[in-house]
Amino acid sequence: MDHILKERDRLLQGTARIYGLGFAGVALLCLLVPDAVAPATYLPLVPLFVALVFAQYRIGLSRSYLWILLEVLSVLGIVVSISALNPGGLTPAALSAIAQLTAASLASVALVLATDRVRIGALVGIFVVVTVVTVWLTADSRSPIATAGLLFLGWSLAAVTGIWISAGVPQAARRIASIGRAHRAERQASEIEAQRRQSARLLHDTVLATLTLLAHSGVGVAPAALQQQSADDAKLLRQLRLGATPTPLSSGGYNLEPVEETVLGTTLESVKQRFGRMGLEVSWHGTGQVLLPSDVLDAFLLALAECLENVRRHSGVREAHVTIVDDATTVRAMITDAGVGFILDDVDSARLGFKESVVARLKEVGGHARLFSEPGSGTTVVLEVPR
Amino acid sequence: MSYPPVGENTLGLLAEVRASRSLVGGARRLVRPENPHRASLGTAFIGIGASLVCGIRAIYGFSWFVSYWPEYPNPVPALAAWILLIVVLATAFVTASIVGDRLPDWMFSVFLALLATVIVLDIVAIWELHDVGRYATASLTAAMSLLLVITLRRPSEILISIGVIGAGLLTVMLVNTRLTTDNASAQITSLAFAVLPVVIGVMIVRGFRSMVQVELDRVLVQSTVSAPRFAVGMLASEELARLDLAAEELLDSVATGRIALPLRPKTASVAASLATELRLHLIEGRRETWLYHAITESELLGRSVTLVDRGSLAGLLDANQRDGLLAAVWLLVNDHAKKTTVRTVQVSVGPIVATAPVALNHKLKVPVVITTTGVQRNRVDPSTWDAIRRVGRYSDSSQNASLRVEIECFVDNPADL
Repeated sequence: MDHILKERDRLLQGTARIYGLGFAGVALLCLLVPDAVAPATYLPLVPLFVALVFAQYRIGLSRSYLWILLEVLSVLGIVVSISALNPGGLTPAALSAIAQLTAASLASVALVLATDRVRIGALVGIFVVVTVVTVWLTADSRSPIATAGLLFLGWSLAAVTGIWISAGVPQAARRIASIGRAHRAERQASEIEAQRRQSARLLHDTVLATLTLLAHSGVGVAPAALQQQSADDAKLLRQLRLGATPTPLSSGGYNLEPVEETVLGTTLESVKQRFGRMGLEVSWHGTGQVLLPSDVLDAFLLALAECLENVRRHSGVREAHVTIVDDATTVRAMITDAGVGFILDDVDSARLGFKESVVARLKEVGGHARLFSEPGSGTTVVLEVPR
Repeated sequence: MSYPPVGENTLGLLAEVRASRSLVGGARRLVRPENPHRASLGTAFIGIGASLVCGIRAIYGFSWFVSYWPEYPNPVPALAAWILLIVVLATAFVTASIVGDRLPDWMFSVFLALLATVIVLDIVAIWELHDVGRYATASLTAAMSLLLVITLRRPSEILISIGVIGAGLLTVMLVNTRLTTDNASAQITSLAFAVLPVVIGVMIVRGFRSMVQVELDRVLVQSTVSAPRFAVGMLASEELARLDLAAEELLDSVATGRIALPLRPKTASVAASLATELRLHLIEGRRETWLYHAITESELLGRSVTLVDRGSLAGLLDANQRDGLLAAVWLLVNDHAKKTTVRTVQVSVGPIVATAPVALNHKLKVPVVITTTGVQRNRVDPSTWDAIRRVGRYSDSSQNASLRVEIECFVDNPADL
């Protein structure tokens, strides 16, 4: 609410500035009509107009009473100078100028004074003083009732505008706040929905594996097998879309038992078979039987599969070696190929999907990955996850 | 089966996804200019106020018309002008409250044509008097009655209309009235009284709209304050759903044989892009904190605030600290009178500072540094300091003549929770 009140004050101040300056300009034009006032009148008018314009400019920036006071004093000064220096009666042009200044230009302060009770009190005080002074000084040239009526009209228009804007702001603020509440609910719903979809991680892993195969036009895989795998994955996605959170038991070459701890060996075999189907011979060395928490296992296998996929795509050889060793705290996999290799700095690791699929995934479960390569002497990736 | 064209580049795709996040879900739709409910956010009320002002002006003008009655050589056209004007004003007022946000083009044209008729009738009636500034009544009120539709048409259209009317009245005055010292000021004031209120009204409506816009932006972003430590943006679930559906369709087509294997290169690249996007959404999606989402989702903050938060530590701030930080950044960016000067704010969070001895309640100390350009220290709104104080103890200084604030922010250690 505070924010919008500040915005409201800024709007009212800006409006008061334009309002005041606009009608001050009109008054000035009236005074510039030939023979509008006696020539000597211009002498005090110039500094007074400068003060008026400056005060109106400052009102656009500040809520201080000081500038309002300066504006009131300069307008009253102008009215006093005109009536004192033109004793023989005022011309229509001079009367118009006084009317524009007192009933329109000065009335612009009503916009910034209409916001709370204290300020409205000040507004009424200023209005009374200005009306009394103006009526008294112009009584010889125009009937007091006409002058007072005009001033009342001008000031009430400005005050109505100010009060109206002030009243409109809380209304808008209430509507905006209710939109904000709706938005917060929407954000929470979006968060939950995204969580549901993201937590269907096993499902997405099999979908990603299949999509990756398709991305290589499905070359090297039996069409029937790929069609079967696609059908299974499409079914799972449909279930997800319809509101269920499917936990696939297996898809294609994967074995995706959602158990708390899974023996690494059984799933490693399926990874091996999957790459075998795609034309990459994987030789396994070291431990085949390691128990890992399922989320760590997921990350580990995914990272491993991603590395093998990179070997298959980029190394130029059809054979890779995977060595798995474990000790009390970590499980380590070393993926080695004797392929073309590359200069590490030359290849953007993000392009290989390395950063997203391998590093980020392992980091999530507290592991990490290192990459070693040299043109002509193959590539080695070391993956580590905690047990 | 067809797929939308997708870029090949992984990082390019990322940029696209990020860019699309700046336009957010359902509530954001309300802000868009073409939305019919926008006027309901207070501008309809402002429109009624403008009509009220116009009504007061009409009463004033009509009382002059009555007092001039004996002087008219032929008062019939002037009376016709007033009758027509009153009918037009009443109809326009009722119509405005019915049509809601926007006056259809044809209605606006009819409205303008009727106003022109009123002006012509009034001018015809007073032509013989040769003092337009003094005797014009209905025509001046007609010019000002553009205030009735001020919230229903674009500001430029209103300004052009009042410009044309003003120029027309000026021409009539110059042609019809021989300017003398006595009558020149009447012409000036009449013209100004017809034109200026509409110009000021346009300014008010424009200012009011931008105020509502800014406040809406702030309120929408404010919802990030209650977000979890890592959050997906508003679009993330929509995006994921879209990608899942696209993948499902593709896989289904392959399974049923609609797409023959091996795939054509084009379809294969669609599969590759889908896989990349899905991967990004699944893995990178939850890396961003509320502050990142707040900045990217806000039109105002997105333009001028950059965030450096390598450790995603902003997520550790509690709701009160977040509120304070967001309010402070908001005030620094938004709170200045001259919208032309460019202010930029950089917020960097972290890295965690080791505290010795261990801080109270095992809290972690996260330094937050706000660096700005174009923000003079003495021009900062006082409430900014209150907001910053809610984040933590701060010290401020000037860097390149612009404000720099260092905040010591203590947060709960996530390991303790």
